[in-house]
Amino acid sequence: MLLARGVVVLVLLFAVALVTRLYRQWREGVRSDRPDHPAVPASLLAGAQRTWIVFTTPFCASCGPVESRLRASDPGARVVKVDATREPHLADAFSIRSAPTVLLADAAGTVLARLVGAEAVDSYVRSSI
Amino acid sequence: MATPPPIDPRGPRFNQSVLAVALLGGFLFDWRPVVPLFALVLLAGAALGPRYGPFLALYAKVIRPRLSPPSELEDPRPPRFASSVGVLFLGAGTLAFVAGHSGVGWGLALIVAALAALSATTGICVGCEIYLLAARRRPVTS
Repeated sequence: MLLARGVVVLVLLFAVALVTRLYRQWREGVRSDRPDHPAVPASLLAGAQRTWIVFTTPFCASCGPVESRLRASDPGARVVKVDATREPHLADAFSIRSAPTVLLADAAGTVLARLVGAEAVDSYVRSSI
Repeated sequence: MATPPPIDPRGPRFNQSVLAVALLGGFLFDWRPVVPLFALVLLAGAALGPRYGPFLALYAKVIRPRLSPPSELEDPRPPRFASSVGVLFLGAGTLAFVAGHSGVGWGLALIVAALAALSATTGICVGCEIYLLAARRRPVTS
């Protein structure tokens, strides 16, 4: 009986590992090395050469610091905050699964980078700006 | 309603680790009292706040002072909702044991154990995601 229950526990842990992997792929949404995003609406760009679009939710405690970090690190760029709960059409269009998710767009609205999570933003800012 | 102050996300993760280990251990050795016991543990944290959850309080008072500050904070509402879902599952599991359906009872407890293990090891909190998905469809006043 103990052996059978041990097998069940192992199967469960294996399933947890599998789900973890699948979820991470889903959470990342569109991969940054395959940027098949739609163009960013011109209303968000407002003519800027570079625009950071920070997707947030009212529950995201790390979104505010991420926004501040981007403003401080890239003062020449425009930084726009989009609340995914209030703009669900935009969140759906860009496959936003979690907050913060940050897009970097050029003046034409082409998405140059997609960063999911505060750590990804930190690491991108450190290496690229 | 005012937005609650953000919390150290490692607190709920510690709580989920203890929950997963306890439920899996309880299942392994067929120790059924672990299910109602942890239903009460989750209920205390979900209904009364983190100060009243025994393992959340243990983390806050004993473990957190020994760690470096968290790199990021999180809103307490999604994990609290997730705990409430856990209470429902473990409560239903307890009723199943009382009714003599131990297979159903352990099945419900193992669902909670799997989700707690997932959250504790990866930060993927399914209950929180449900809360956030619902919030995305229904703007929430803060």
